[in-house]
Amino acid sequence: MKLTIDEVAQCLDVPLSTVERWIRQGRIPVGKSGGECIFQKPILEVWAKKHNISFTLSDKKVKKHSQDKPVNLFNAMAFGGVYYGIEGDSVSEVLESALKNIAFLDQDEKETLWVKLLEREEMASTGIGRGIAIPHPRIPLDESMEEPVIITCFLKNPLDYRAVDGFPVFVLFILLSPSIKTHLHLLSRLAFCVRDASFVEFLKRVPDQEKLLEKVENLEYAS
Amino acid sequence: MKPWIYPAQWALFKMDDRLLMMFIGAIVGTCSGFAAVVLNHSLLFLLEWLSQWRQHWWAFILPAIGAALSSLFLEKVVKEGAGHGVPEVIYSVSRYGGLLRLRSTFSRLVSSCLTIGSGGSAGPEAPVVMSGSAIGSNIARFFSLNDRQRVTLVGCGAAGAISSIFNAPIAGIVFTVEVILGEWTALNIIPIAIAAVAGTEISRALQGNQIVFSHKVFAIDMGDIIASIGVAVFTAAAAILLTHGLRSMHKISGKVRAPMWIRAAIGGSMVGIIGLSLPVVLGEGYHSVHTMIEGNFSSGLAFVAIACLAKIIATSLTLGWGGSGGIFAPCLVIGSLVGLAYHRALSMLWPSADWVNEGCFALLGMAGLISGMLQAPLTGIFLIVEITGGYAVILPLIMVSAISATLCHYIEPSSFYLKELVDRGHLLRPGTDARVLSDLSIKELLETDCVCVSQNMSLRDFVKIVENSRRNYYPVENDETGEFVGMLHLDDIRPYLFNRMLYDAVLVGQIMNPHVATVLPDEDLSKILRKMDSQRLFSMPVVVNNRFVGMISKATLLDKYRKELMVQTSF
Repeated sequence: MKLTIDEVAQCLDVPLSTVERWIRQGRIPVGKSGGECIFQKPILEVWAKKHNISFTLSDKKVKKHSQDKPVNLFNAMAFGGVYYGIEGDSVSEVLESALKNIAFLDQDEKETLWVKLLEREEMASTGIGRGIAIPHPRIPLDESMEEPVIITCFLKNPLDYRAVDGFPVFVLFILLSPSIKTHLHLLSRLAFCVRDASFVEFLKRVPDQEKLLEKVENLEYAS
Repeated sequence: MKPWIYPAQWALFKMDDRLLMMFIGAIVGTCSGFAAVVLNHSLLFLLEWLSQWRQHWWAFILPAIGAALSSLFLEKVVKEGAGHGVPEVIYSVSRYGGLLRLRSTFSRLVSSCLTIGSGGSAGPEAPVVMSGSAIGSNIARFFSLNDRQRVTLVGCGAAGAISSIFNAPIAGIVFTVEVILGEWTALNIIPIAIAAVAGTEISRALQGNQIVFSHKVFAIDMGDIIASIGVAVFTAAAAILLTHGLRSMHKISGKVRAPMWIRAAIGGSMVGIIGLSLPVVLGEGYHSVHTMIEGNFSSGLAFVAIACLAKIIATSLTLGWGGSGGIFAPCLVIGSLVGLAYHRALSMLWPSADWVNEGCFALLGMAGLISGMLQAPLTGIFLIVEITGGYAVILPLIMVSAISATLCHYIEPSSFYLKELVDRGHLLRPGTDARVLSDLSIKELLETDCVCVSQNMSLRDFVKIVENSRRNYYPVENDETGEFVGMLHLDDIRPYLFNRMLYDAVLVGQIMNPHVATVLPDEDLSKILRKMDSQRLFSMPVVVNNRFVGMISKATLLDKYRKELMVQTSF
């Protein structure tokens, strides 16, 4: 596999000018064809190992990921979808029937997710008050998930969720994110919306999907 | 595009660039071997041609003319500094990857030939080393090789030159590794060895395989070995004397307000005057070394001691006042005189003791002086063993070389070749701190992820910027001109951070630190580090023309420094 000088600089995590100097000083194995420098990946790997220098090609991917546009609430909610009339008399039943509706997970994934969500609920309730709960796994799902998802579930009957303020919960925002960072980011956004009393009133009227998303979008832009 | 001048692309050398280095090393060794033979022959010719006038009373003018001509040639024709050239080679190796000018391949040959041939007290070896190194460097440049290969070829040139002029291949290798390059690695030792062999072979083919100073067999016993310690002490003293003499002469001549060539002429004529009464001091002096080693030097103790001092003075005059040549040959002469004087003194004190032949002590003296002067004991040992063919004296030789080099090192921490470089901070041996720092440039360490803020920004706006950035330092710029006015650290805003009342009342320009030490992008890293240490700074802004270009911090420096050190040291 051939690498360009930019890629080599990235793999070694040094500035381009350092690689250029190393070529000039003959410290790095390089082949020349015409005026161009050609690096062979296996040769470079042997060289890096001999000099005890870290040489990782994956650096690039990680960088790309972190440069992604910041996730927003609207996208996550639109992706997750809104479900109505979820039945159940206990936390575990409600979560089970809520997960049943999710289209993009297969049966095995649903079960592991259900266990994880219950584990989190046992530690402490995710009911954050005003009739709203945000169930989520304690440890973010593995990297197979590419984008964060919020699944909105309106309950058929308000349920005692052991929420902080004791109010029965009528809506769940199931929060699934690929990393802790995005999780916290979405959480803070969601909390910002929920702090708005008019939004909670709006939720209590069980709006349909379009209206809900529109409202969320407006709130996000306003902030 | 001419493919043949890129030997790195030849099928054979594509397999392994070490083969390429061996091939070119042989070429370089041959060429520098030729250069040495040429200088040797032209010196002999000049000495013979001038000998018809030597006996006249005005002969003292001859060294003056020679020195003046050589100085004029160096200054006006090739525009190079006086001196022997070895420090220049070492400097170029450590700083510029062994780049030397093409004209250096012959300039020192011509100038030293003029100086020595006319009777100046200097040696032809250092100039040959210079031209051999320049040959290596220019061949490397012709084949467009990289810095490391070029440094190896410079070493090849030096090794070939020394090997050829002394018919001493091991001395060539050892001198190169010990003095010129300062390191030996698995990569450079083979080309250097090949060059040394090639250089020696050239000299043997053209001049015959002769041992430079052959002598009788010496029978050495325990007493002589113990006595040799005294030789070491005296040679160390002579080496220090010579070093100081050269330096003080250089200083004195620097004060004379006259053109270079006139200074050289003054020095030359003084040498000539000394030479009128003591002809032993003139020229490179190999003939007198020869007679001393054979034990045929008839004069008494007083004369030998005086001759020794005179040679030291003559060498200082020649080289210190602007003549051109090396110190190898004068060292050999002075060393053998010291050894001889020591032997005379010993036999005077203990006439009954059965001392070895005085030639042996002359030989030990040479080794001691070379080792002391260059502070390179191995070079001293191997050179003397090879040029005298006297493996029998190896035991006292090792003693004398080691002791003399160490004694000199105590009194003068840096050798004659390196003194100037060390004083100017130009000695950058591979794998040392100074070398790593000199290779890294500010450009490579610059952190450009800082967010610049404006002087008139309110604290409220600034807090928002802090929220979205990852650095603790914020350079502050003037709104209109964009000039750098100061730095703002996160610590500076801490007192105001939790008092929202102040968010609109405080401006960035008020809380920033306007008196920050800044760095220029072409400053020496070692200087910057010293500045950081003295002011207890962890990072400093780099500012060009009043504009902020980036930060430089110890954290990044450590990261890059370590990488550089690892790349430079392990092979």
